[in-house]
Amino acid sequence: MQAEDLPHLLDFVVERLEVGVFVVNSEMRIVFWNRFMAIHSGQHSEALLGRNLFEAFPELPRKWLEKKINNVFVLKNYAFTSWEQRPYLFRFHHNRPITGGVDTMQQNCTFLPIKNTQDEVEYVCVTLFDVTDTALLQLQLNSAIATLQVEKAEQQQLMLQLADAQSHLMQSEKLASIGQLAAGVAHEINNPIGYVYSNLSTLEKYVQDTFGMLAQYEQAEAAIADDAVRAQLKATREKLDIDFLKEDLRALMEESKEGITRVKKIVQNLKDFSHVDATDEWHFADLHLGLDSTLNIVSNEIKYKAEVIKEYGDLPEVECLSSQLNQVFMNLLVNASHAIEERGTITIRSGQRDNEVWVEITDTGKGIPAENLKKIFDPFFTTKPVGSGTGLGLSLSYGIIEKHHGRIEVQSVVGSGTTFRICLPNKQPIELQK
Amino acid sequence: MLTTDQKDALQEIANIGMGQAGEVIAKVLNEFVTLSIPRILILQPNLIAPALQRMVNSELVSAVRQAFHSSFRGEALVLFGLQRCADLADLMGYEDDIDHATEMEILLDISNILVGACLGGIAKQVGVDIGFSAPSLLADRVPIKEMMKVNDASWQHALLVEVNFQLEQRSFACHLVILMSEHELKKFAGELDRFLESL
Repeated sequence: MQAEDLPHLLDFVVERLEVGVFVVNSEMRIVFWNRFMAIHSGQHSEALLGRNLFEAFPELPRKWLEKKINNVFVLKNYAFTSWEQRPYLFRFHHNRPITGGVDTMQQNCTFLPIKNTQDEVEYVCVTLFDVTDTALLQLQLNSAIATLQVEKAEQQQLMLQLADAQSHLMQSEKLASIGQLAAGVAHEINNPIGYVYSNLSTLEKYVQDTFGMLAQYEQAEAAIADDAVRAQLKATREKLDIDFLKEDLRALMEESKEGITRVKKIVQNLKDFSHVDATDEWHFADLHLGLDSTLNIVSNEIKYKAEVIKEYGDLPEVECLSSQLNQVFMNLLVNASHAIEERGTITIRSGQRDNEVWVEITDTGKGIPAENLKKIFDPFFTTKPVGSGTGLGLSLSYGIIEKHHGRIEVQSVVGSGTTFRICLPNKQPIELQK
Repeated sequence: MLTTDQKDALQEIANIGMGQAGEVIAKVLNEFVTLSIPRILILQPNLIAPALQRMVNSELVSAVRQAFHSSFRGEALVLFGLQRCADLADLMGYEDDIDHATEMEILLDISNILVGACLGGIAKQVGVDIGFSAPSLLADRVPIKEMMKVNDASWQHALLVEVNFQLEQRSFACHLVILMSEHELKKFAGELDRFLESL
């Protein structure tokens, strides 16, 4: 290659390079404009040379770009723009007229100071690289990552729901097996209790008969002629203390009858509670009966903590799953007694309004702080020490009431007590009756 | 790594370089700027992150990196603590509302100006030509430990030059860090020797 060929060669390279190249002077007049710029802007070098860049291209962001180019003159240093922050300097068509994908050619630009021999910047050369392909790939990648992140978040949500559902399932299975156990025990005990109870009645009659007979013998005693026999009878009667025995036997019979009656009642409550007679089907039931049998079951847990006051109103029979409602009453009653630290009262009120019935359980316990009120129906939320509460009672209750198309509401004042109010429709919506 | 003479020369060159850089940045931003006296350290890879943490004094940082190349090569970092660049938009000729992309562009632009002026100042003192790659975003509100993972570094020591930059009227501050590996530092030391001989 001859030395004189070099300028020509450079001209050719800069002209034909697949990179936009243009040069401005400090007055922002265009002094060079290569073929790439001409093709894409539609403005040819001859028409542009000597013109102010911003007059020729009024769509350019003048204030910012002027400052940017001026800084290169002052700092005598490179400046850059990147497509990621500024997709383009000039709005050029991209090189994908057929395949498409973006609306404008994405550009990376470099602002290059061109210095004279006195080390002053005389011109600024701007090179403009078409990075549309890279940008497209990058954008696709970003959107793929974003999609993955969304899916990941959804998956985590699903996993939480699964854990939630599992715990509900476990709890309801636990309750179901407790119910079955109770029903089994009740059934097994019911028979022997039955004959013990009726035997006791018969026994009482026999004892009375026997005592009657004994009384007649005592009266006949005087008629016995033989002194020795009379003395022996008297000695035996005194030795056995028959008078006391007669007295005590009556008391023993009374106590046994009372005991067996209590056992019968407990068994009946267990049967009512687990609803052994009816399977878990919608039926009309008296809520007061459910409340009473639940109270009997939890009375051991409550009686040392609270006095129970019943202020029952007039309630119609309500269409419900009564064994599940009993579960809710039990949760609320046990929670109420746990909330009471020394001694207090639990008041149960009921009533009806429009086509709804309501049951309120109010305790005089320590109350629930406002920040916890929002969370009490969340699964696993508990303020009881580790191991003593599952945190599932209220969430389960909430689910049961929801199934009944009812509402469960709570009002609480820290230090003075909490009221849970359950509202239930008298009748379930038609589609759920079947 | 550096002889006492070389280190003294570097300190002197850096001082003068920053003075000139401050002047030219003030001209560009039209504000009074303060550049601290450069602090020169030679550190092992695992000590770089703690050194940066000490400068920034905030948990999350945003940072820009930019490569420079002369007869020696290296990277410059500009660290932004809680300071955001959006406040500087008007200085850079932005007129519209600032969205995230624009804020990042300002971050890159401010970094480019700082790196160019400061390294340009040093290069000019030593009498070498220097070029720069386009700056790129290294971190956007990320803990420093995550940003600087140099466990697999191919070098045992690096030169670290720290300069703090302040715009007093706007209470804006950021930190410029020049990093050069030991191999490149040797070449740079050669330039320092040449400079010392020329005095």
